Amino acid sequence: MSEWAIISQLTINSILFGSMYGIAAIGLSLIFGTMRIIFLAQGTVIIFFAYICYWLLTLLGIDPYLSILLVVPLAAAIGVGFYYGIFKEAAVLEDRNISLLIAVGLMYLMENLMMVVWKPDPRAVVTAYTSWVFRPFGTTIQFTRLMALVLAIAAAIVVFIFLKRTLMGTAVRAATEDPVSTKLMGINPNLVNAIAFAIGVGLAGTAGVGVATVYSFDPVFGFMFTLKALISLALGGIGNVWGALMGGIVLGFIESFSSYYIGGGWVDAISFGIFLLVISFMPQGLFGARGSMKKHKVKR
Amino acid sequence: MANPSLEVKGINVSYGDIQALWDVSLNVEEGAIVALVGANGAGKTTLLKAISGLVRVQKGEILLSGKSINNLSPQQIVDRGVIHVPEGRRLFSTLTVMENLKLGAYIPRARAQYAQSLERVFGLFPVLKNRKEQKAGSLSGGEQQMLAIGRALMAQPKILMMDEPSLGLSPILVRTIFQLIATLNEQKTTILLVEQNVYQALKIAQQAYVLKTGKIVMCGQCEILLADEEIRKAYIGERGSKRS
Repeated sequence: MSEWAIISQLTINSILFGSMYGIAAIGLSLIFGTMRIIFLAQGTVIIFFAYICYWLLTLLGIDPYLSILLVVPLAAAIGVGFYYGIFKEAAVLEDRNISLLIAVGLMYLMENLMMVVWKPDPRAVVTAYTSWVFRPFGTTIQFTRLMALVLAIAAAIVVFIFLKRTLMGTAVRAATEDPVSTKLMGINPNLVNAIAFAIGVGLAGTAGVGVATVYSFDPVFGFMFTLKALISLALGGIGNVWGALMGGIVLGFIESFSSYYIGGGWVDAISFGIFLLVISFMPQGLFGARGSMKKHKVKR
Repeated sequence: MANPSLEVKGINVSYGDIQALWDVSLNVEEGAIVALVGANGAGKTTLLKAISGLVRVQKGEILLSGKSINNLSPQQIVDRGVIHVPEGRRLFSTLTVMENLKLGAYIPRARAQYAQSLERVFGLFPVLKNRKEQKAGSLSGGEQQMLAIGRALMAQPKILMMDEPSLGLSPILVRTIFQLIATLNEQKTTILLVEQNVYQALKIAQQAYVLKTGKIVMCGQCEILLADEEIRKAYIGERGSKRS
């Protein structure tokens, strides 16, 4: 393979791999925006929906891409359920650590429930198109990975339009910037938080289908995914849909290129090294902030 | 005496172990401008927050046209027409002027009258119309204050509570803001005004309350307070320009 072909292939891989991190990161970003916590269960929730996708296929014979129509609304409803069920009381507390601990608890609960229900050995969703590949210009593109990218972009567009074009979406952006002022507009903070959870977990549902069709997965695979989403979020800057998606793709580049040129064993060390550098020295991310990290001092 | 629009009766408010308001009472009659003055940390902002439901009232009662609004949620209080323009404006700086105004009219009662409200706000502040697609954070200080007031007007306030609307503005803009407050009042908006600019506030208001370390220490007609030696010394200064 020529150098040019290798670089093209690595670039394609970066974008295809990174887009999944990207949608996970958009979910983290929205929940962080209104709740001010890193929703550490995000990756585990993604794996949960990967299992749901697996079940829908193996038990009911529903095609994974068709199952999105079921998985995403289900995921959004579960997100709302998470908020009203376990986060609502802690959301009003000034100490954000309580909410963070709830997320940690939820993560381990789901992980262990999945161990019981689906056993710890890896599963994979296998369909007729799992092995389909395109070979444009000497590169190789797996159909399922391309579909995952399409899903990621479609999900990002839907979320972006919701945030930009609807009154509720505007309210979510406002709450991300100033929750107190949002209350003075007569906006119910619980509704805003619940919407952030609905979108965040809805995106986890989308990512779950993407992951199920691409990777083989097991219950503990989720936490690794949360960490990658967290790196993507740091790279992209919190509070920006496209930034989060781009952050995921940048992480995809870091992984693919460092794996090829430096060595597979180095990939995670390099990713986390860059994560630390970015979050320490450029907390607004690589693509600039939109003010959501700005803290308002509350004066009496 | 007319039926008071907003009546605060002996309220206590604490932040944890620290009590911020002690047995505070205040009356805002319908159609009036009432000024609330006092030094920094006296509890003026806390009182507004108690009325708008941002902090809990431990003791006492807050009545709106005779009905208790004690410890209702901020949404319910906004819905009843008590609108709070917070200190420092608290605009959504990453949102456009239009988006800020839209959120001002978020509650269904106000949403139904969105078009009229918008026309009124653009009539009062033509500059906002010219800048409607601009980010609120890119406006000048004066424009931001206009937007903060405009956003509050979008909610169709019956009682408008303004916290330091002249803070950080140039003398010319301060005059503009006070003129605006008078105009809004003529248009039948009842106003509770918190100001450090005591002289101007007492000039425009009919009635004033003085808060000191969480207690009302003085209240009365503004003309009388303006003539009061103690008030002049403590809050206005010799030339009437000193900020407390």
